[in-house]
Amino acid sequence: MSEAVLDNIRTRRVVREMTDEPVERAQIEAILEAARWAPSGGNLRPNRYIVVEDAETRRLIRLVAPGMFQRAPVLILICTNGDVVAEHHLPPTDRALLIDIGTAAQTMMLAAHALGLASGPVTSYSKEAVKLILNLPDNYSPEMFICIGHKAETAQPGMRAWKKITWRDLTHWERFQSK
Amino acid sequence: MSENWVLKEDEAVELLALLITSARIQMEEPAQYGPLRLLTAAERLSGMMLERASEKSLAFLQENIERIPDMHMTMSDVEAYRAALDERCRAVAACLLRHSSLSEAAP
Repeated sequence: MSEAVLDNIRTRRVVREMTDEPVERAQIEAILEAARWAPSGGNLRPNRYIVVEDAETRRLIRLVAPGMFQRAPVLILICTNGDVVAEHHLPPTDRALLIDIGTAAQTMMLAAHALGLASGPVTSYSKEAVKLILNLPDNYSPEMFICIGHKAETAQPGMRAWKKITWRDLTHWERFQSK
Repeated sequence: MSENWVLKEDEAVELLALLITSARIQMEEPAQYGPLRLLTAAERLSGMMLERASEKSLAFLQENIERIPDMHMTMSDVEAYRAALDERCRAVAACLLRHSSLSEAAP
């Protein structure tokens, strides 16, 4: 068992304050390469990625993304390609599409952490406004931003847990048992 | 009363973007995110106003910029969140009084 992998999973945090320090192109590409290896339902690969580094584009995105507290130097937008969805006769609300977004997002955030970078997901934005700003075609649905950058020294420790939990609180062995 | 202009047009448009997109995304987000979005707007507006605001508002605006990000992190503690919101309400009322004719009548 690789303790390094488990340690990477345990120590990753959502970071909402980042510095202006740019992220190296090779690091961005390594994160995108990691996303390629994320599990995909039926191996259909409906995700497409838009990488945004331009400062003015990032500023405009942030203005229509109330949940984007970060001023991240790199934004990776995970999109679902509607052509793949249609080609395989999936309903647009198919659960597999959401799962693919989730696996790609977590894989990219773990990859970023492994590279010494900070990351944070954002889903609170106007899809229509984002589509306009990024010139997305109609068949691209913008599903989640992953903000990538370097953690600011002033960064908050993160939102407090609603309730202290362990894996045991979340798990039932064999059959459901009331706790 | 003060008649200072405290916003540039670009800043006002940015605030409108935040308010309008917040209204849209709130239709699918948890109810407790409503206060979060309004507070984010208050924080951003405070930052925009800071450079041109009068002495009557400066301390209040600075407090918003410093305290509101911390408030986001305590959302899960409902009572602490409520208390922090009440404290901001008292602060805004005090600022309103400083901007009103009542402040001149105060002892």
